[in-house]
Amino acid sequence: MKKTALFALVLVLAMTFVSAAGTKEQSSDDGTVTLTAYMQIDPANDQYAGHNAVMAAFEEKYPNIKLDIEYASGEAFHQKFQSMAASKQIPDIYTCYGGARTAYVTETGLTLDLTPYLDDAFKSQFASATWNPQGSAGVIYMIPPAFSVCHTIYANTAILDKLGLEYPKTFDEWLSQIPTIRAAGYYPVSMGNKDPWVVNSWLLGTLIERFGGKEWIMKAAKGEASFTDEPFVKALDVIKQMSDAGLFSPGVNQMSNSEADQEFYQQKSVYLIDAGWRTSAMDAALPADQREAIKMTVFPALDGEVTHNTSSAVASEGFALSKALEKDKAKLDAALTFIKFYTGTEGATIRAEHGDVPSYNLDLSKVNLDVMQKKFVEFSAEYPMGYVFDSIMDGEGVTMLNTDLQAMMMGNGDPKQIAADYEAWVAANDSNRD
Amino acid sequence: MPRLNKRASYLTLLLPAFIIYIGIIIFPILVSFGLSFTEWKRFKMTGFNGLDNYISILTDPVFQRSLWNNVQIMLISVLGQIPLGIILAYLLHRKWVRGTKFFEFMIFLPVTISSVVIALLWNRVFSPVGIYTTFVRMITHNPDYVVKIFESEKFAMIPVLLVLLWQYTSLYMVIFLANLQRIPSSVFEAALIDGAKESTIIWKIVLPALSTVIFTCSVLAISGSLKSFDLVYAMTAGGPVNYTYVMALYLYQHTFTFHNYGKGSAVSIIIVLLSVGLISLVRGIYDKAQKKFE
Repeated sequence: MKKTALFALVLVLAMTFVSAAGTKEQSSDDGTVTLTAYMQIDPANDQYAGHNAVMAAFEEKYPNIKLDIEYASGEAFHQKFQSMAASKQIPDIYTCYGGARTAYVTETGLTLDLTPYLDDAFKSQFASATWNPQGSAGVIYMIPPAFSVCHTIYANTAILDKLGLEYPKTFDEWLSQIPTIRAAGYYPVSMGNKDPWVVNSWLLGTLIERFGGKEWIMKAAKGEASFTDEPFVKALDVIKQMSDAGLFSPGVNQMSNSEADQEFYQQKSVYLIDAGWRTSAMDAALPADQREAIKMTVFPALDGEVTHNTSSAVASEGFALSKALEKDKAKLDAALTFIKFYTGTEGATIRAEHGDVPSYNLDLSKVNLDVMQKKFVEFSAEYPMGYVFDSIMDGEGVTMLNTDLQAMMMGNGDPKQIAADYEAWVAANDSNRD
Repeated sequence: MPRLNKRASYLTLLLPAFIIYIGIIIFPILVSFGLSFTEWKRFKMTGFNGLDNYISILTDPVFQRSLWNNVQIMLISVLGQIPLGIILAYLLHRKWVRGTKFFEFMIFLPVTISSVVIALLWNRVFSPVGIYTTFVRMITHNPDYVVKIFESEKFAMIPVLLVLLWQYTSLYMVIFLANLQRIPSSVFEAALIDGAKESTIIWKIVLPALSTVIFTCSVLAISGSLKSFDLVYAMTAGGPVNYTYVMALYLYQHTFTFHNYGKGSAVSIIIVLLSVGLISLVRGIYDKAQKKFE
C-alpha cells in the first residue's frame, strides 16, 4: 500500500515536471510566442464586447502570438496587481493608468517606457492628447485605446415632453423643475453615490472646471492657488444645493451605480448623472424607442462659470509592457504587435463598432453604430472635455474629500469647511505639492 | 541515551511544523512590527518615524470610530451570538420544538452562505430600490421613504450587527449542540427525577459542561470580531461617510489603496495587541468561573 502511494506520488511529480518543461519547449520550438497578460476588463460585461471582438480578430490574424490572459476588475484587480508589483512578478502585458491610480507598477521601475518604440508616423494617427506625458517622469507607459468620458447627463425627453418641460438651460431652471417632476410622481435625478467616488468623478471635476477654467486645477494642485478659492467652494456649493433642493432621488448615498441606472431605465426618474460608457449597457438593455428618447448632454449653465458646456474626460487605462521584456526581443516584438493592433486602425475600428470612441483618429461617420453609441460619438464631438479631478490629486486626500462630500449631501457639512480641510490635507500631504 | 534519542526524535518531528509556524506566523508579525515604525512615500520607505504612525492612527477620528464599531461587533458576538447559540442549541437538544432536524438545517444555513452573497441579498432588500423599500413606499404612499438607519451616524452599524448575529449564531449553535449531545441523557433524567428545575439544570449541568467550549467560542468570537472585513466590505464598504468603518477596512485602505505600509502595519499590530489583550481577559474570567463552578 505504501509502495503504491509512493509510486503514485512520484508519478504525479514526474508528470508535473514533464508538462511544465513541455510548455516552455512549445513556445520556442514552433515559433509561437506566449505572452502573459493581466487586464482590468470584464469580458462578460456588455461594455467590453468590443474588447472581445478585437481579441478574436487578433487571434485570427496572429496565430503565432498567444496571450495567456487573466482578467479581474475593480479593487480585486488592484489588490492582486499590487502584490505582483511588490514581488516584482508582473505579467508581460497589463492594463494600467497614466496617472496615480496604478503608480505602484508605473512608478516603481517595472514598466517599460514605450517612447523609443513609437515612431512619429504611428503617433500621428492618434488624437494628440493620447501622448500627454504620463507619471512623474513624463514618459509613455501605456497607450490609451480610448478616452473615458466621466460626466454625462442623460435626459429622458419622453418624460420631459409629457411634463411640458425642456432640458434646462441654467442650473436655476433645473432646480425650478423639481416641483413639476415630483408632482408627476417622478424623481428628478438618479445617481448612485453609495461608493462616494461617484459624485467626485462624475460631477465635481466638471463643476470646478466650469468655475475655474481648465488651468486652475493644476495651479491649485501645485499650490499656486488654494482649494479654499472660489472655484472649488462654489463647485461644492452647487452639489449642496442639488442635495438640499431634492434634485437627487431619495437615498442617493445608499444607492449603487447599477441601482441608479435601473431607476432611470425603469423611467422612474427624468435624468441620470453617469459616465459616457453607460451607452453600451443602454443599447443592450433598453428598447429602441426609449433609447431614441434619451438625450446625452452636460450640466446646465451656472452663474459665474468661466467655461461653458463642458464635460470631463481622461485617457482610459491602456496597455503597458513589463520592463523585463527589453531582454527578450521576440516577446517584446509580439507585445508591441498586440498593442499596436489593439489601439491602431484594426482594433479601433472593431471597438468603435461596439461603442468605443477610440483615441485613434477614425472617421466614425463610416462606422455602423447602435443608437446610444451614435449619440455618444456626437456627444464627444460636441462638448469640450475638461479634466477628471480624482485622476490628478492623490487618492488618500480624494478619499477624505469624497467622504466629506457624502456627509455634506446627507446634511452634515459646509462647503467652506470641507474646502479648508481638503486644502490643509493637500498642503501637508499631496504629492503634487512635493 | 534512549531518553536523549527520544527527545531528539521529538524535536526532529516538531521541526518542520516549528519552521512553518515561524515562517508564516511569527516572521510576518515581526516584519509588520518593524514596518510599523517606518514612513512611506510614493511606494518607497523613506525612513523610520518612531511612534508617529501609532499616534496618527490613535488620534484619527476614523480609526476611533472603526475601533468602536469593532467593539460593537465583539459585543454582539460574545453577548449575542454565543448566548443565543446556547439557547437555540438547548431548545433543539431538549426537543422542545417539533421538527428539530428542519430547524437545525434552517438555522445553520446562513453560515454556509458566502458573506458577499449575504451582503448582496440584504442590500437588494433594503436599498432605495430594494423590495422592502419599494413595498413600504407603496403602502405608505410616501415615495421619499428610505431606510434611514443606514444614514444615521449613531445607528448605521445596527443593520450590520443584525446580519452578523443572524449569520454566525448558527455556527455557535452547532458547536454547542454537538457538545450538549456528549452529556449523557441519564444526567438530565436523574436531575429531573430529583426535582431539579430547568434553571438549575442549565446552571448546574449545562453551563459547567459547556464552559470549555464557551471559552473557545469566545476566543473565536473576539478574534473574528476584531478582524471583521468581508461582510462589512461587501455590505457597506464602511459607508455612508465612515459610519460603518472597521479596523480591518482602515488597515486595508491605508495599506493597499494609499500604499502606506507603515501605517497599515501599525494598525495590524494594534489589532494583534487588542486580540491578545482581550483573549487574555476572557481567559482570566474563564479561570475564575472554573474555580467558582468547582
